Amino acid sequence: MAEFLDLESQDSVRMPWNVLPGTKADAANCVIPISAVYTPLKPLPAATPLLPYSPLRCRNCRSVISPFSIVDFSSINKIWICSFCLQRNHFPPHYQSISEQNLPAELFPQYTTIEYETTAVHEKAQAGSSNVFLFVVDTCVIEEELGFLKSALLQVLGMVPENCLIGLITFGTYVHVHELGFGQLPKVHVFKGTKEVTKDQLLEQMGFFTKRPRPTTGVIAGVRDGLSQESVARFLLPASDCEFVLNSILEELQKDPWPVPSDQRAARCTGTALSLAAHLLGVCVPGSGARIMAFLGGPSTEGPGAIVSKNLSEPIRSHKDLDKDSVPHYHKAVKFYEALSKQLVHQGHVLDVFACALDQVGVAELKVAIEKTGGLVVLAESFGHSVFKDSLRRVFKSGDNDLGLSSNGIFEINCSKDIKIQGIIGPCASLDKKGPLCSETVIGQGNTTAWKLCGLDKTTSLCIIFDVIKKENPDIVAQSANNHYQHGSGQMRLRATTLSRRWVAGPGIKEDLISGFDQEAAAVVMARQVSFKMETEAEFDPIRWLDKSLIHICSQFGEYQKDSPSSFSLSPRLSIFPQFMFHLRRSQFVQFDKYENCCRHAGDFQFMNGAGLLLCHQSLQNSPDETAYFRMILNRENIANSVVMIQPSLISYSFQSGPEPALLDVASIAADRILLLDSYFTIVVFHGSTIAQWRKAGYHELPEHQAFAHLLQAPRDDADAIIRERFPVPRLVICDQHGSQARFLLAKLNPSATYNSDGVAPGGDIIFTDDVSFEVFLDHLQRLAVQ
Amino acid sequence: MNAIQTGATAAACSAINQVIADLPEGPRTMVGIATFDCTIHFYNLKRALQQPLMLVVPDVQDVYTPLESDVVVPLAEAAFLAMKSTGGKLLVFQSVLPSAGLGSLSAREAEGRSNISAGEKEAHKLLQPADKALKTMAIEFAEYQVYYYYPFSALSDPAKLYNDLRWNVIRPQGFEAVMRVRCSQGIQVQEYSGNFCRRIPTDVDLPAIDCDKTIMVSLKHDDKLQEGTECAFQCALLYTTVYGQRRIRVSTLSLPCTNMLSNLFRSADLDTQFACITKQVASEIPSAPLAQVRDQATSICVNILYSYRKFCATVSSSGQLILPEALKLLPLYTLALMKSTGLRSEGRIDDRSFWINHVSPLPTPLIIPLVYPRMIAIHDLDEKELDDSTIPSPIPLSSEHITDEGIYLLENGEDCLICVGNSVQSSSLQQLFGISSVEEISSQFTLQQYDNPLSKKLNAIVNEIRRQRCSYLRLKFCKKGDPSGMTFFSHMVEDKTQSGLSYVEYLVHIHRQIQSKMA
Repeated sequence: MAEFLDLESQDSVRMPWNVLPGTKADAANCVIPISAVYTPLKPLPAATPLLPYSPLRCRNCRSVISPFSIVDFSSINKIWICSFCLQRNHFPPHYQSISEQNLPAELFPQYTTIEYETTAVHEKAQAGSSNVFLFVVDTCVIEEELGFLKSALLQVLGMVPENCLIGLITFGTYVHVHELGFGQLPKVHVFKGTKEVTKDQLLEQMGFFTKRPRPTTGVIAGVRDGLSQESVARFLLPASDCEFVLNSILEELQKDPWPVPSDQRAARCTGTALSLAAHLLGVCVPGSGARIMAFLGGPSTEGPGAIVSKNLSEPIRSHKDLDKDSVPHYHKAVKFYEALSKQLVHQGHVLDVFACALDQVGVAELKVAIEKTGGLVVLAESFGHSVFKDSLRRVFKSGDNDLGLSSNGIFEINCSKDIKIQGIIGPCASLDKKGPLCSETVIGQGNTTAWKLCGLDKTTSLCIIFDVIKKENPDIVAQSANNHYQHGSGQMRLRATTLSRRWVAGPGIKEDLISGFDQEAAAVVMARQVSFKMETEAEFDPIRWLDKSLIHICSQFGEYQKDSPSSFSLSPRLSIFPQFMFHLRRSQFVQFDKYENCCRHAGDFQFMNGAGLLLCHQSLQNSPDETAYFRMILNRENIANSVVMIQPSLISYSFQSGPEPALLDVASIAADRILLLDSYFTIVVFHGSTIAQWRKAGYHELPEHQAFAHLLQAPRDDADAIIRERFPVPRLVICDQHGSQARFLLAKLNPSATYNSDGVAPGGDIIFTDDVSFEVFLDHLQRLAVQ
Repeated sequence: MNAIQTGATAAACSAINQVIADLPEGPRTMVGIATFDCTIHFYNLKRALQQPLMLVVPDVQDVYTPLESDVVVPLAEAAFLAMKSTGGKLLVFQSVLPSAGLGSLSAREAEGRSNISAGEKEAHKLLQPADKALKTMAIEFAEYQVYYYYPFSALSDPAKLYNDLRWNVIRPQGFEAVMRVRCSQGIQVQEYSGNFCRRIPTDVDLPAIDCDKTIMVSLKHDDKLQEGTECAFQCALLYTTVYGQRRIRVSTLSLPCTNMLSNLFRSADLDTQFACITKQVASEIPSAPLAQVRDQATSICVNILYSYRKFCATVSSSGQLILPEALKLLPLYTLALMKSTGLRSEGRIDDRSFWINHVSPLPTPLIIPLVYPRMIAIHDLDEKELDDSTIPSPIPLSSEHITDEGIYLLENGEDCLICVGNSVQSSSLQQLFGISSVEEISSQFTLQQYDNPLSKKLNAIVNEIRRQRCSYLRLKFCKKGDPSGMTFFSHMVEDKTQSGLSYVEYLVHIHRQIQSKMA
């Protein structure tokens, strides 16, 4: 395991197979595809220099020079040989002084991943352009929520770097585009929510050409093409210039004034607002980093992209409705957001969504636009909830835990002829650069060797899936990934990662393959695959598919005598993989109708009191919005985080020992223990019944029980440490054994003791479920694997 | 841009600003502002906001109100939408043709001129609504009034604009009115005319009505009336006052019936008869060639006089033109009508259109002054001793009464022209206008009061006219020998002009027609 982590810290890559099967048939037997999870902006080891120049590229295949390139120092004109196409390239004159003793950094063997600063080339284009934040704020929310949202926005306004441009759109029944640069009085341009506006109409109607005539030909694109700086500055202003105006607008921001009949939903035109936001950015700052930050407080009911009608008698679509395809708005809305995502990708802009409502707001429909632009997404039940408030603050936070937001990435892959690219599952959009390296089998964003990442950050991770063609060459295969992006500081940078992995072929390769098996990476690739297939393949049965794959792997790589389940054993390299699959099968990615994160599934209980909410708590189902949310996060996070999503971590705290990992099993519950569960989206601090009693008695406040106070505090501190580093900020649940909130823990535990079992340890707990426990699962697995 | 350049915008703003104080106070009074250029701007005037919020509605093809409330604390269609739920009054300030969006109009006059070859016959078409949308909107708006300032003068017009606006706001008025006229047996209503809309045939709907609006009701016989009986008419108007009271105003009239035409002619009311003729003729202008409309005016006049001649004055010799005493000025006013802005062939289409709109709801007492303005001499105010009235007796509208030494004031209830002869004594000029010679006259001026009896008298006269006419009057200087002089002399309806007969010639013309009818 450790060696994979080392490789990851050097190259930001994790691969399920670090030794590659040499033939198509071998690859097929591996079940899990040859793939790599690459985190393009993972911070590099501190020693790695940032090279202040542009990289050398092969004149044939455009690959970047790397430590794997063979350099011929002997000839007078020094030459390097491309490791992909074997093209011989001359070094340019300024490299003439290099020698074996005097290598440029990019040829150091430890710098297989290195960054170049290429601003020089783009200096002119990028001059003065810094990040742009266009806030799109929903006003169809109750006063209380609007208050929360306003104070959250006011708080982050002060955190926006001074040179960043800011714009504001508010919407409800109508879309209000605020002209922040007007000065004399607050001025807004009001657009009808039901009507889609084209970019041209926007240019005409918002008076971009009142002072200076519109060019008769060509596309209008920002200050470089056709617009004056002043007309752009009417809507997008540097943070330092508009802070006052924006503050007063936000303070006076009113709830959407149109009355909502009691049997109807508010008229909310999310689609039109987002489309106008995209047009505005497309007109003003095309090609430079900009984010649309949408704050949504309910479902879109008007105009394009509506997910439900205004009539409350029509419920918002559920998974069941999607399965039955009885979703009158869904496909139309998805189509609309697909078009929006194309536009945003073309413009190089990002859509971030902060959805805070008890209702669904349409994240399932918006998913395509968020994911293809690499946007952030946060789902919470209220704008007053820390999941929203703290997450929003994190976006603008600088320093240690900043997200490292970057923009306008272009990601390219080059690889040896022996493998081809099926596609990428992750937050990116294909740039349609087809070539001989594209496989005929396509998954995710495929049929290309270049992708656009409008927005990316330190943990953005792409899962690249390859195809093995045949083994031709000697032992190594190389892949190179280049990511060209606009750094948060506005600089253009290029990061090049070059990898080489060993091939094995023929009989007896099992051991070799096992030695290169990274089970965490494998579990994550499986999770992304299953989640992708569930979305795209009709009639896909995820449980069956996962089981079949697992059985296949176990019978391929397990040690056993045929038909003897008891003889079955797995190498330590594979030993926890079945456990990952067990938890993946039970996770929110695969099962919708079971999970506890359902408080938001509220349907239309938004205006009901506690009784209504209680009802939702009990309905154990994930909404399509939640599923979309979980999948988007799974598809963008790195291996470590994804593993926690699949199989939560559990730490136990007691007087007997310090904090120690505990089995994710109901048996870990004990009266005198505190458990800390990290399931990525939720962090649970669970007090055993005795601990809870002591706490209720206030022992921790007594000086003689300081040790107890420390015991109580330790999991809280650890939880805070996790919360500080994570985005979106997880929900913190603090609960006691037998309390109602304890279900957040119980739902994740292996049900080794259920109401059917006998002999529960005293102080322990049982889970009311009919789900099979891991032991039973493993039994079945062994039986089937040895057949 | 025209509005801002001419100062019309500034004038409108300052007028509105002043008028707000004059609005009737009370919870029912609400005010909203909208401005427009190529887009429409509303303002959220909610009290909670520190500053009004400007709301730009850029889509002028498909206008909508951006707010549910707070806009009307309340322009064309959009403002109408804003007011839809409350009802109310819309004041539009406009300086050039609408060129974008709903109801955009092309400069039709230019169009009209370019196909001049089409001739006189086509001209009337210009006055028909070019855009259906405006007409539909009008049905919803109904009662309206147009104020017209052409060309806009930053110097003299703001005061008039303010006074017009103020009067518009403070004059006695009501909303949501419905009117119906009932008659006793034998008589029935034939038609209502004026500015209103009709939803059902028997009633007249008036979203707003004020003291300056007149509705003409034409009646017809549907049975024989008995000599010596009386015939009754009753008009009922249901309306809401500005303070929210719902009221009905009932006017009842009972008139004796006669079989004797001479009795009828004896009690004829020239003002009303002429008002009817004028309104009737005005309503024809948009649909018929002007020459035909003019002929129609003459033939109405001839028919009336012919009836008198035939049935009441049979004894006289046929060579004499006999006129009923009460209607003796009918030919003069008919001639004036034919030379009026509405019926003469020269002149701008906008002027004519305004004239038609102006005439339609115009109260009876103001009709004759409109076509046959009042002219008085003001250079000799000192010499005349005015007995009971402030205003000296009027002079007939004939250039033979105008001398080069004189200063004359001519008013028709809308405009007030002051014509200065070329050899006027400079002392008079000094006293009246504070200038020393005719050359210093510019067409734009505001009347000021100087500390001398002559000036004081003139001001008193002008104020009295304003009071009588319920109108602030647009004051203009006219000088003999330049275009402004031409305007002045175009009002001399008794003169012979290129296209029209002199009064005497017209009398002869009328006489001939009567004679030919008699034969």
